[in-house]
Amino acid sequence: MLEIIGRAARESLESFGAAGKLTAEAVRSARDVRTWWPNLTLQARQLGVDSLPIGTLIALFTGVVLALLASYSFTGAVPRYLVGTLVQKTVMMELAPVLTGLALAGRVGANIAAELGTMRVTEQIDALETLSYDPVAYLVVPRVIAGVMMFPVVVGVAMFVGLGAGWAASLGLLDLSSTEFLKGARLFFDLFDVRYGLVKAASFGFAVSLLGCVNGLRARGGAQGVGSAATHAVVQSAIMILVLDAFWAVVWLLGRTP
Amino acid sequence: MKTRSNDWLVGLTIVITMGLIVAATLFLQQSELGRKRDTATARFRDVGSLQVGNAVVIRGVSAGRVTQIALAPKGWVVVAMELDRATTLPVDPVVLLQASSLFGEWQAMITSRAAVPVNRDVVAQVEDALDAPTGALPGAVLPDIAQLTTVAGGIAGNVASVAERVRTAFNDTAALELRTSIRNFSVLSGDLARAVRAQSRNLDSLALTARVGLADVAASSAALRRTMQRVDTATSTGALEEILAESRVASRNLRLATERFETLSQALAASEANLRGAIGKADTVLGRIERGEGSIGLLVNDPRLYRNADSLLVELRTLVVDVRRDPKRYFSVRVF
Repeated sequence: MLEIIGRAARESLESFGAAGKLTAEAVRSARDVRTWWPNLTLQARQLGVDSLPIGTLIALFTGVVLALLASYSFTGAVPRYLVGTLVQKTVMMELAPVLTGLALAGRVGANIAAELGTMRVTEQIDALETLSYDPVAYLVVPRVIAGVMMFPVVVGVAMFVGLGAGWAASLGLLDLSSTEFLKGARLFFDLFDVRYGLVKAASFGFAVSLLGCVNGLRARGGAQGVGSAATHAVVQSAIMILVLDAFWAVVWLLGRTP
Repeated sequence: MKTRSNDWLVGLTIVITMGLIVAATLFLQQSELGRKRDTATARFRDVGSLQVGNAVVIRGVSAGRVTQIALAPKGWVVVAMELDRATTLPVDPVVLLQASSLFGEWQAMITSRAAVPVNRDVVAQVEDALDAPTGALPGAVLPDIAQLTTVAGGIAGNVASVAERVRTAFNDTAALELRTSIRNFSVLSGDLARAVRAQSRNLDSLALTARVGLADVAASSAALRRTMQRVDTATSTGALEEILAESRVASRNLRLATERFETLSQALAASEANLRGAIGKADTVLGRIERGEGSIGLLVNDPRLYRNADSLLVELRTLVVDVRRDPKRYFSVRVF
């Protein structure tokens, strides 16, 4: 038992250590623009544009559920236009970034880990090194930049869709007028809400893509190793998203007055 | 070709997403691009829970929103507001900050100074902010529900404290004493009622006397009024001036008579002195006469002299008759 716990701790620390080392290498390799630039839009499309449907779907249902939940909770003296307030604040500041980030952690993190892991176990990365290609500049940097760039895009769309879904649900499923919903949504809206959500999304994109790359490059031993790397990438990305979520809340929300 | 397709798609996605976010933000911030607005500022000592974006209301109608809240020197807070261009401010405008609902929403209400609620603190705030720089409106914060509930909570606590003290103080002994006190109070009430009845009778008598007195006073007042009317009439017709003129003449005559009388008194005093001297001399003469001094004294006191004189007179009368009868016997007139 103790051996299992110790091994898990060591592997976690190794993962974070490897992530730190890879981050430093990626920063160094980012200067080699000619190597990573051609792959950037491809990665941006795979990580961002292709993730829009899942992000939109999550936001759609999240907005509807939030509106219903708020309507269910706000009874008695609580005015119902606060449904709009709850939907706006929750979607923009928390659910859109976190739920979309978790969904993309599964999709993007696993994708990157599996892709790079397969390249590792099939020795394609070794071949790149043999051909004097910098595998970090060629494989890691475009994925990390694409993750940082496109996660906010997907989360932005999710914010828009989630708010619209909550609005539509309030009109269609609740006895709430459009004026009431917008009054609540506008009541406590602040530009900071958008900024906070998008910055969080960018940090999530960085963490998910980096951890996917780390686990993919560390894959060993064939298909099983690739699967294990993908699993590790998803789990670590999900944990990292929650940790970063708490980090930003403490750093940016604590002590802040609206 | 594949790369160009990716570039186009990614670019389009980014642009559309940015557009959506910007549009949604502007929509939620109620930004009205291209619509011109006026600005106004107000200053306060405290802005309560007012936030940027809160509504600005005139007579209950939304007329703009708060755009900036900033600290200013000397303990002021300056609030900037955007107002619809067609908005006309009330006369002598004042900005009042108040909660617009029970859930923390605040608004800035622009109203005229005459419409400020009669609240000592609010009026003091407005007067404090009156000497605002040009263009800045004076402002005040109305007490919100939290302050009211805090005060109400304090009152409730005091009531509870009093109730607790009453409960502690009101035991069996206190109840017995209270019963005794009530009985004493009943007796006292009876005495008081009797005293009140007696005093009521006295008061009736006094009132009657007072009524009679008042009637007399009224009659006197009427007489006085008539007198005053007469005086007023006399004054108004010039009789008083005539009386005064005559009085002045009489006074002058009296003064002259007094002067004459004084002169007469002085002359009388001199005559009296002369008379006293004459009497003294007469007394002296009479004394001498009485003492038989002098011719008259001798004549008075010696009967012989009287008889001699009488016989002398007889002889003289005879002589005169004889002379008349024969003057030549006694007188001889010769020329040469």
